[in-house]
Amino acid sequence: MKATFPYFGFDTYALKSFVEALGAEVVLPPATSRRTLELGVEHSPELICMPFKITLGNMLEGLERGADTILMAAGARKCRFGYYHYLQKAALVRLGHNQRLVPVSQYSPYGFVFRLMPSLFGVSGTRVLRAVFLMIAKSSMTEEFRKLLNRSRATDFESAERKCRKALALIEQAGTMSEVRECRRELRELFRPNGRRPELRVGMVGEIYFMIEQYANQEIEKELGRLGVEVLFERSLYHHIMHLLRIDPGYARSRRLARRYLRECPGGEAIRTVGEAIHFQESGTVDGIVHVFPFTCMPENMALEGLQQLTADTGIPVLSLSFDEHTSRTGLLTRLEAFVDLLKRKKREQRVSRN
Amino acid sequence: MRIGLPRALLYYRYGRFWEEYLSGLGADVVLSRPTDADLLQRGLAVVSSEVCLPIKIAAGHVLDLADRVDTIFLPRMFSLDDGLYACPKMIGIVDVCRMMLGNRVRLIAPVIKGDLYGPHFRAGLAICRNPFRVAQAISRARAALEEERPEPAFPKGEKRVALIGHFYNTGDGYVADAIIQGFRSRGYRVVCKDDLPQGVLRSRAGFSRNIRWVYERELYNAFVHLKDKVDGACVIVSMGCGPDSLVAEFMREESAQARLPFLQLVIDEHTGMAGLVTRIEAFVELAERSRMKVRAA
Repeated sequence: MKATFPYFGFDTYALKSFVEALGAEVVLPPATSRRTLELGVEHSPELICMPFKITLGNMLEGLERGADTILMAAGARKCRFGYYHYLQKAALVRLGHNQRLVPVSQYSPYGFVFRLMPSLFGVSGTRVLRAVFLMIAKSSMTEEFRKLLNRSRATDFESAERKCRKALALIEQAGTMSEVRECRRELRELFRPNGRRPELRVGMVGEIYFMIEQYANQEIEKELGRLGVEVLFERSLYHHIMHLLRIDPGYARSRRLARRYLRECPGGEAIRTVGEAIHFQESGTVDGIVHVFPFTCMPENMALEGLQQLTADTGIPVLSLSFDEHTSRTGLLTRLEAFVDLLKRKKREQRVSRN
Repeated sequence: MRIGLPRALLYYRYGRFWEEYLSGLGADVVLSRPTDADLLQRGLAVVSSEVCLPIKIAAGHVLDLADRVDTIFLPRMFSLDDGLYACPKMIGIVDVCRMMLGNRVRLIAPVIKGDLYGPHFRAGLAICRNPFRVAQAISRARAALEEERPEPAFPKGEKRVALIGHFYNTGDGYVADAIIQGFRSRGYRVVCKDDLPQGVLRSRAGFSRNIRWVYERELYNAFVHLKDKVDGACVIVSMGCGPDSLVAEFMREESAQARLPFLQLVIDEHTGMAGLVTRIEAFVELAERSRMKVRAA
């Protein structure tokens, strides 16, 4: 079996190791590019949200490379994401691709490990379980890598980018538990703190795909790093898996905190977005919040109202960015620069008033 | 006690039930005025620009009430009987309104998850202390809910178009009157989604089983039920409506297979009536032509 799946930021490599550990060959689509997006947009409904378009483009490019099975996450109930695969399958069939598209439901860990994966790959449940542990270890590593990278970008951008390329090659190669451990050590060595502190910190919250997929969010972490801002985040594949296994303490905290503005979960990740933003604000570690989500995302629009109220109540600056295929990079950079200027001025004023 | 009931969103489905229920509790029900441009403008000013038209209208209605009453009744419809969900915005609008109003106005918002009457009973106690009276008010109001609509007749030789849209869009004159009139003035009978009996709308047969949004499932079921009984299908989608952007796509695919003329009207606060009329005219012409083709064949 030659399996392919849409890109998912740096966590793509964790997913790749997972599928490879189940004995399938993985054909990754080429890195998401302008072409991917254009392919996706061409064959998508006009009003659907952006992740649909990018993932469809990824699938088409993966098929061009000779994949015969597509894996696609599914199974959100209140959010459009859970329904993507029906329309994506229809679009693929319309284009004459009759390869298999397997919707991978997220909400039953037991069913995933002991039913879905074994029947798909023809392996035992214990082997799937081992692969899941590998994926957890590796995604926890990529999360740490992203944190280290963001920190080092904010203090020394050029060398961080050089190290990033080297680190990605390391991460891609780590395919067993011991290799992951070794890789983790090397990453920590590579990104040893250089003693400098970043000028500013912002917390990033929002929709998970846009938090993770670097192409979709126009490399916002990198651009903020270039401006000397360290980006903190709490959303990653690792946390998502922990959440699905119902052992994520961060989610419980978000639920508790978000109640201030959203009494019930409107679906998607609205609760997490608001909860994490409040947590960032209360812990005092950040100077501002950046909120990223796809244009017309329903839950995040509800979260946006909550974040605006948070600004009104506490004065923490929030920059909400909604992305679609027409979002221009230049416009985004201008907004980021303006936001960073605002944060700098605010911090200076605070320092002056303290003295 | 004067209680405000916004004439928006779920009002178009549960409005009579709520009116009966609130007056049964001894409250003075104050309805917001029917939607108009001014109301919409007020709503636009307070909610994010990306949400859909019905939410903006609803915000306007709530603001309209906030000037006149000190208590607003705005239930949060979460999920209904069989594990279905309302859309995220409909769930979230209550929080949006709470943040918008602050402490100015008291918001009574029973959370309806599966059971309709329990939350109403508890919310009723906040209005009227007497539990017997609350129970009585609910059981009287129930009659307004349980009225079953008969299946509409589809006589031969009549020109018909199916209007597939949410009840809060088709029921709101400000939004849908121009569209309905557009079809009627050209000799078409308009069959709305909500003219169909509940049994049809709630059906779990076929693909609709996979749709977990309660109102989108209704849209899809209505479409499937009507598609061989009408000359064309017109789907009203609010710009930015997430579920509709998907479900309309399923309907479009099926229409293409059944060779049914299909019109998707995307509405928002900038929609011009002249543009709508032109599109309806073009669509009617297309429908006529395909009728002729069918007759010739």
